[in-house]
Amino acid sequence: MSKLQIIMIIASFIFLLAILFSLRKNSMSIKNSIAWLLLPIVLLLIAIFPTPIETLSHFLGFEVLSNFIFLIIIGLLVIICFYLTVTISQLQTKITKLIQEIAILKKNDHDKKSK
Amino acid sequence: MPKSKVLIIIPAYNEQESIKKTVTEVQKTGYDFVIINDGSTDNTKRILADNNYPFIDLPFNLGIGGAMQTGYKYAHQNNYDIAIQFDADGQHNKSYLKDIINPIENSKANLVVGSCFIDKTTKTRRSSAIRTFGIKSLSNIIRIFSGKRIYDPTSGFRAADKSTIALFANNYPLEYPEPISNFEILKFSNLKIKEVPVTMSKREQGKSSIHSWKNFYAAFNVFLSIIILSLRRKHE
Repeated sequence: MSKLQIIMIIASFIFLLAILFSLRKNSMSIKNSIAWLLLPIVLLLIAIFPTPIETLSHFLGFEVLSNFIFLIIIGLLVIICFYLTVTISQLQTKITKLIQEIAILKKNDHDKKSK
Repeated sequence: MPKSKVLIIIPAYNEQESIKKTVTEVQKTGYDFVIINDGSTDNTKRILADNNYPFIDLPFNLGIGGAMQTGYKYAHQNNYDIAIQFDADGQHNKSYLKDIINPIENSKANLVVGSCFIDKTTKTRRSSAIRTFGIKSLSNIIRIFSGKRIYDPTSGFRAADKSTIALFANNYPLEYPEPISNFEILKFSNLKIKEVPVTMSKREQGKSSIHSWKNFYAAFNVFLSIIILSLRRKHE
């Protein structure tokens, strides 16, 4: 087993533990954790069964295996970032609506009281 | 003809210097009005409360789009026939109010825009060369993508009828709301926009929500929004 494999296995385990811990503490919803769970699981699979990835990496013309792994991780991160931006936009819309509704309710309430 | 129920919406963000003067002017017209305090950090809210002005207090700053939409929602819920956007900084003149209300009362338009560019008699502070150029290009872009012409797409002096109020209450752009909502109406709805000539005065106090160094960025942003919106299907 190469050094890279050992580092990847350890890192994946730490990462998985961190995710599971925050799930247990309820600081991350299960729905939102799926994308993050995918990342260490993919890493772990690559570390334990490196042969198919090595073959694919060689086939695609990567000179070093680690470069191909970097690419996979960056790809997953880009997907997660994109998903986060979509979520933030949806939240912004919802917050805007809430602020507007609350402000109008406050005004109606104030009008009722002063009558 | 029964007189229509008119609401003047005055969005205010940090307008402590000018809000009282503007409201005093608006009060003289006799129309209903409401001020939207967009999370001001100065004394705007205190001035509004002390003078017993009718106002809606947003707990956080939403920006001009979110603030104006609050006004349209309020107008919609309270069944107003006409809602008018009126700036708190004193650049809109109350003597033009009847001009922008008239076309709606005579069913000539669903949205009336007080325009500085419709004819040559209404020269204003807006007529700096670069600004005029920017607004002209914006007007051209809107024409290319919607097939219809609006001469002053950035004017914040607008009157909306019932169907436009309903539309805005439901869907109003948060950033650069005037050019984008004008475009959306021209492109996606059957509502009619009419421009009437108005003169706007120099801002009396405060800074414009669009700072000069940001103008280029703003124009780019609006162009991009228009292109992206054009790719969308007609929305309900």
